[in-house]
Amino acid sequence: MRDDPVVVALVKSAQDGDQGAWDALVERYAPLVWSICLRYQLARADAEDVGANVWLRLVTALGMLRDPAALPGWLATVTRRECLRVIQDRSRQIPVESDEFPDETSPEADAELLKQERHIALRQAFAELPENCRRLLTLLFNDPPVAYTEIAKRLGIRIGGIGPTRSRCLAVLRHSAPMAAFAESPRA
Amino acid sequence: MAEDRDTDEELLSELGAAMHRAAVVPAWFLDTASTAFEWHQLNIDLAVVTQDSATEPELAGARADPLSVRSMTFTGRAVTIGLEIDRDAVHGQVAPPQAGTIEIRARDGVSTTVAVDEDGWFAVRPKPAGAFRLLFRSDGGHSVLTDWAIV
Repeated sequence: MRDDPVVVALVKSAQDGDQGAWDALVERYAPLVWSICLRYQLARADAEDVGANVWLRLVTALGMLRDPAALPGWLATVTRRECLRVIQDRSRQIPVESDEFPDETSPEADAELLKQERHIALRQAFAELPENCRRLLTLLFNDPPVAYTEIAKRLGIRIGGIGPTRSRCLAVLRHSAPMAAFAESPRA
Repeated sequence: MAEDRDTDEELLSELGAAMHRAAVVPAWFLDTASTAFEWHQLNIDLAVVTQDSATEPELAGARADPLSVRSMTFTGRAVTIGLEIDRDAVHGQVAPPQAGTIEIRARDGVSTTVAVDEDGWFAVRPKPAGAFRLLFRSDGGHSVLTDWAIV
């Protein structure tokens, strides 16, 4: 995701007050922020509080953002800090029984962040696929899976054409610009 | 992973997981982002805690002193808000000094508004119970929202 031109453009537009660009940034990173709230098992009121502060910090920091690739790591750190803060605030009022909070410095946390970064890139790459690919792949990763006969009927293609189209679409996905950063830099 | 390319099956399953993660984000959580953007567009400055006597090392014997005063400082881009919290009230000063209003928002949604005088001073009585944050609106149209404070 180094120098991702899409993110750079979104950040610039959001800074200029473009709500659509902001929404696109949020759509991109909200799953990361939300998944951290889930790990800390926050109640809705606390998650709302965390969300409000994290996004406000992000919108405030947009002007200072130099490296879009650092954004997921920055968001993860800010979100964890906010989660811990609401938990500490609560524990001053209500005794907290368990002190078992996720360890943010563990190798597992690093691996989780890398996974989330891949997910962000995958969703971006998926959004850039041609429509026929998006429709087919959506049916294929459906849970429970949709039968090939049903897929063929819904998309109006031959059953024999599903396998090759699937391979072609996944190849496009794999070699897309958003996924390229991960192929170049094996960090894990 | 760079050379040893993942199989189609793995990629498809990972894509499914990535899309699922996005699908499970509740709409109300996304709303918190819209609200934050609106605040920012309204030029609301977020002031963070830069000093809190409760987190500083305590002097011997100070802990049990009923007259001890808790002090906190919130720093934003253009405005600093200092608080002194005693048993009965929250006293504060906005710097640089300017008149306006301070809204005290408690965690349970209750809010109270008090005036800030020309010297930037304000007082809230009785002090809020539990967590609260302050929204300062200057007469000049500048707004500052502080982090949460716990009393």
